This record gives sequence, structure tokens and C-alpha cells, in this order.
Amino acid sequence: MAPLSTAWAIFQGLLLEALPFLLLGVAISGLARWLLPQTGWIRLLPRQPFLAPVVGALMGFALPACECGNVPIARRLIASGAPLGTGFGFLFAAPVLNPIVIASTWAAFPDQPWLLIARPCGAFLIALALTFVLRPVPEHALLTDALLEERRLCQPLAQVGLLERRSGMLGASAIEAPLPAPAPARLAPADLLAHSSREFLDLLSLLVVGCAIAASVQTFLPRSWLLAVGEAPTLSILALMLMAVVISVCSSVDAFLALGFAAQVTPGALLAFLLLGPVVDLKLAGLFTVVLKPRAIAITAVAAAMVVLLMGQWVNGLLL
Amino acid sequence: MGQWAAAVRVLAAMLPSLLLALWGWLLFWSSWSGRLSLLLREAFHPLVSLAGALLLLLAVLWWLPLGWRRPPALRLRASGAVPWHWVLSAGAAAAVLAFPPAPSFSDLAATRPTALPDGPVLIFHLPPEQRSLTEWVRLLRSQPDPALHDGAPVRISGFVLERAGQPPQLARLLVRCCLADATPAGLDVAWPGGVAPAVNQWLEIDGTMTVKSVAGRQRPVVVPERITPIPRPERPLEP
Repeated sequence: MAPLSTAWAIFQGLLLEALPFLLLGVAISGLARWLLPQTGWIRLLPRQPFLAPVVGALMGFALPACECGNVPIARRLIASGAPLGTGFGFLFAAPVLNPIVIASTWAAFPDQPWLLIARPCGAFLIALALTFVLRPVPEHALLTDALLEERRLCQPLAQVGLLERRSGMLGASAIEAPLPAPAPARLAPADLLAHSSREFLDLLSLLVVGCAIAASVQTFLPRSWLLAVGEAPTLSILALMLMAVVISVCSSVDAFLALGFAAQVTPGALLAFLLLGPVVDLKLAGLFTVVLKPRAIAITAVAAAMVVLLMGQWVNGLLL
Repeated sequence: MGQWAAAVRVLAAMLPSLLLALWGWLLFWSSWSGRLSLLLREAFHPLVSLAGALLLLLAVLWWLPLGWRRPPALRLRASGAVPWHWVLSAGAAAAVLAFPPAPSFSDLAATRPTALPDGPVLIFHLPPEQRSLTEWVRLLRSQPDPALHDGAPVRISGFVLERAGQPPQLARLLVRCCLADATPAGLDVAWPGGVAPAVNQWLEIDGTMTVKSVAGRQRPVVVPERITPIPRPERPLEP
């Protein structure tokens, strides 16, 4: 009975600690959704292969949100005609490369300053790597049909040629007059309130499940098992990557969950947990389907896992 | 049947605001009732209270027209379809409200590492009898020679921690964030003959710090002169 009581208390601790951060993330995500203009400045975004994802990743500081709030924003960016590199840079890096997540990581690990540098840098590198991996794939094989259609409506054809867009629209010429962009439509405050509240409630349920899994693992998994896995450099990374995928908790709060495992695993495994979850997890697999086609999601998952594994190994090589 | 379906539709339409209010109340009440002291580091308590107040405000705003048109999301749920994960969320909130935390600190400490997080600056000029158990542990770890404190008066409180294969210690839990990262800080006690401390029992001990040979090593040990059972303190977790 005592372990059950302890697990229940840890569950409550994790949940009550994480909830304010989740609320903050959703609030900013809602605000960003409200303020995001439709097309205007999006045409000014750079299209160079390297600069585009860099700018997208850095936009996380202006539009900070966990990966759940991040997906609709990234979708809106891409639908509005932003360069794919920028959209992907934002999609993959912004869940970590933003002030809220950095602050929560600091709150959870004030005694491990290396993590405050390694986590955002790692997320940045993952975003760059994924953008380059997805770059050769044509847009029509990457994006969902609905998103592709919205993007075609917003993409300035006069400025972006057919080959550059790779959208599969045969016959569209670079001198064709641009299609009229849809009129900017800003959400009404009441709609914003309703959407954000529902988003918060949806994510809260996932947080409840994640906290329950984390509390159970922490209480009932024998420490000797964790130690056996955690002390092996590669195995500990793979185990924590798997845990990140299964637990599926938002990046704004996952650092607090990682606290439960931090002492039992290698530094590389800890970093892998904090890097992979915001890009690949079970919850995101559903959310990503509003942006990417299944094949593109699979490519993203495999590539992200490989990059994270390499980073984890490198960190273990440095710190162990 | 029609009335029942209508009632379900109304309930489904109200559900988001009810859930927001439920979670808001949970956070607010957890702060107000002092439950957080058992779960989180004190620095985070205001954040939880603020989040609770915001959720309650959101729940109220949901129903205030404020000159806006009625949110369409209210109509979306009017079909009576309630997402299963919202039901799960409501059940979790109700369970948290109904069953307060009652962790076994000893059980928790048994699975935790013993490395202490960095704490606040030690107050060495405090008289020894005014040092808390945590301050004693940090001091003894920072100064490896236990003989320096031989004979110092001690007045500490903590819970009885029992680890497998070791004699019971008097301990405190240190947290950086929440109970999930709790780390035990324990002191050896030379329990007088006939005293069998109950695990998790909170005790206050007046005594002296001495040095004893344990397994061939000189270790600081508290020799109690008076042992008083006390209730769990209002703030059992330390930074």
C-alpha cells in the first residue's frame, strides 16, 4: 500500500508542478495564433536552404509554445506560403528553442548548466538536420492534401517558380499573376478563448497520462533495473528515447518529468529524453498528421531518432 | 428519453467551463489547504495559485457575453459527444481532490540517489543547536573530518528513514522542484537500547554530535538525550 501512496503523491506533485507551465504555453500559443498575420511579412522570410530553417527555429523565441501548440502555428505558417524550410525549422525546433521551455529546464535542473546549453543547441541541430533530410522530397509528397491546397492559394506564384515550389502544379508559370490571397481573418476574442480552453483541456489529459506513467515507473520499477539500463551508455539513451516517445508529455513540462530519471541515467540519455520528445512522440504522431503525410512523418521520426542517438553518444563520450 | 438527451447535450456544452473550473479549483484549493507543502518546493506555490485563479477566471469568462458573440465551440459540443480524454481528465481531478497525498517518505527515499543538490549558503555562525538536520548533513559533507563537531549540541527533527541493510537514520527530504526529485539527507543516530523507531515517524531529537567507528570508518553520529515524537511539520520538504 505504501508504494501506491508514494506513486499517488509523486503523480500529484508532477501534475501540479507542470500544470501552470502547460497553461502558460497554451496561452502564448493562443495569442500567437491570434496575432499571426496571414501573408504580409511571410513573403519577406528567407528562402535559402540554410537560412530558412535557422530563421524558423529562431521564431520560437517570438512564438513560444510547446510542441502541441506549436503544430497549429507551424501549419498556419506553411499554409500562408512561408518557405518550407522556415516552417519545418519552426515545427521541429521551436518546441524547445523558446524561453518558456528554457526556463522550465532551468527550473528543473538548476545544478546542471550544461543542459541549458545542450538542449536548445541540440534542438537547433535536429531542426537543421530534419529540414535537410526532407528538402529533396517534393511538397506534394510531404504535405497533406488540405495543407497543400491552402498553401497553393497563398503562395505568391509571381515570386516563387514551379520548380522552387515543387508543388506538382504542372503548367503554372513564373509570370502568372498571383492568385488573390485570402482576406486576413483574425479570430474573435471569444473564439480564441474557446479554442485555447479546449486545447488546454485536450493537452491536460495527455499530461495526466504522462504523469501517471512517470510516477508509476519511478515508484514501481526496481531501482536496480533503472541502474542496470542507466549505466550502459547506449542502452540508457535508447531506453530514455523510448520513454520520451511513450510518455508524450509537452516540452514545457518534460524537464520536470526527467527529474525522476535524471539521477539514474547517463547524461546523454537525459539529453536524448529532452530532445526527442518534442519532435517525436505518440501524441505528436497524431498532431503531425495535420501537416505531414505518413511517409514524411516516418522519415522525420527515423531521422530524428538517429540524430538524437548520435548526440546522446557524443555527450556520453564527453561527460562519462 | 428526449429530456435525457437534452440534458446530456446541455451538460456536454457546459463541460469545458466545468472542467476549467474543476482544475482551477483544484490548483487553488491545493495552495490554500497547504497540500502543496507536501508536494512542491515553496518557490513554485505562487505559480500554482496564479494558474488556479486564471483557470477559474477562464471558466467564468466562458459564460460572460462581454459583448462578444457566443463561442462556436459551445455549439460544437452540443451534439452530446464528450471526448473520452476529457472524462479521464475530470476523473483525475476528482481523484486528486478526493484522495490527498500521503507518501511514505521512507519508501520514496529508498529509491532515491544520495547525492545532495546544492543548497543555500550554509550559515556556519549559527550555534550548532540551531542548525537544521539538512544544514548538519551539508556541513558534515563539506567538512570530512567529523571530529571537528565532536560534542556539539544538536537539536534536529526529521522522519525515520530505513534503508535495506542499514540502521535507521533521521532524515529530511530535499526537493529542487517537486516530490519527483526528492533527495534524502540523513544522519546516523545511536538509538538507545529498547528504542525501535517506527519508519516514517517524525521525531525531534535533542542530543550531542559524536564520532563513532562504523564499519571501520569514523562517522558522525547523533547521540540522543531526549527523543520526542512530533506531528509531520507543515513544511516537511526543504530546498
